[in-house]
Amino acid sequence: MFRMGKNDQAAIRAILSGDKEAYGALVVRHSHSLFRVAFRITGNEADAEDVVQEALLRGYQKLESFESRSNFGTWIYRIAVRCALDRISSRKGDKGSRVAEETDPEQDEVQLAAQSAGPDRLLLSGEIAALQQAALGALTPTERTAFVLRHMEDRSSEEIAAALGIAPNAAKQAVFRAVQKLRLRLAPLRVRI
Amino acid sequence: MKHLKEEELVEHYYSQSQSQSQGPDEGEGVAADHLASCAACAADFAALRSDLGEFPAVEPPVRDAAYGEQVWESLRNALPAYEKPKRRWLGVGLGKSLSYAAACGLLAACAFVAGRQWERKQVQTASVRPPQQTQLAPAHPQQRVVVVVLSDHLERSERLLVQLKHADADSEETISPLRDQARVLLAANRICRQDANKADDPELAPALDRLDHVLAQLANHPGPLSAAEITRLQDELKASGLLFEVRVLRTRIPEHRTAARANGGTI
Repeated sequence: MFRMGKNDQAAIRAILSGDKEAYGALVVRHSHSLFRVAFRITGNEADAEDVVQEALLRGYQKLESFESRSNFGTWIYRIAVRCALDRISSRKGDKGSRVAEETDPEQDEVQLAAQSAGPDRLLLSGEIAALQQAALGALTPTERTAFVLRHMEDRSSEEIAAALGIAPNAAKQAVFRAVQKLRLRLAPLRVRI
Repeated sequence: MKHLKEEELVEHYYSQSQSQSQGPDEGEGVAADHLASCAACAADFAALRSDLGEFPAVEPPVRDAAYGEQVWESLRNALPAYEKPKRRWLGVGLGKSLSYAAACGLLAACAFVAGRQWERKQVQTASVRPPQQTQLAPAHPQQRVVVVVLSDHLERSERLLVQLKHADADSEETISPLRDQARVLLAANRICRQDANKADDPELAPALDRLDHVLAQLANHPGPLSAAEITRLQDELKASGLLFEVRVLRTRIPEHRTAARANGGTI
């Protein structure tokens, strides 16, 4: 069904010559990495699946503008990052306030007060993970995406800048602001542990 | 001694982790030297490293080996095949290219002159004709307006479907505005459907039918929708893949617009 032995460039040449099926090989090859980054950015399985589909669809439609010198994996990865960013930007409006409430420092205190009484360590780590996720959710879409790319995907500032369509310095600033906010939000937690 | 800023410490932290896999960075050496000689900055850096070290990478849910093929199956039918590349402009030869360019220029000049004269003649005729005849609009601008309406309609429909997909089924405050939007979109959808049926578009017409079904359920339900009904609608939406279909159609619209202009055909 798929000609997996072909490299990306050969597949792209075949697609542009009218062989639609050759795109299957590219989809199979890159879907997993796209899903990984989409899930890390959106934090939601259904959204991540939508992002993968949308990115691959956009990629196919823009394939004529793809420069053959570039790496298809990097190119489609950037498209997926943009799609994921669009997705979290569009839903940010109604979720932002809820996340802010959940991570209210007073609430953190209430949740963690019981831990000094010796609750199960697993419960504690589960709560920490939930607070970390909430803190991540409270970042702006650009900060969250930049942080995920830097911290979890190990991408350089230049790569983040290219993926987000901003200047490298702005990408550095976005990562820095994200780290600053996360440390601030998680500071009460650190003191109590 | 000038201390490192927090921003520089963050940059150094990530440069360090990256240099392990991609080789050392230029600025890293300066920051490392300073950290080796400054206890205050070293303490700040240790705290930063501890905080970021406790922030694990989110592990996505496992996807099996067939995931890529599943994605491909869901995309395959939505992708039109590219046309084989035609002979290149320069491949024909410079002389021929120039003669084509000259011929095109001449044709454009003739069309311009003829257009101007026709326009003058129309103005003269219009002043003599009764008013109802002068109000007739040419066919093509009308077609172009339909394309704009359709793309706008699909964009608004997509937005509504996304909101419905993520809506809290128990919240009447969230659902009520969606129902108002659905009523407006329902009317527009019927116009677009009629147009798609006339044009006999095999992809657009059925998709608009399915969209009509969802919009009608949302808009015309007597009384408030219960949480169970909203959940059922959300499940239906997920199972039918309508949202994705609308997205695909949206991306096709510019193609159609070009085709309509070039061929003078309908949408």
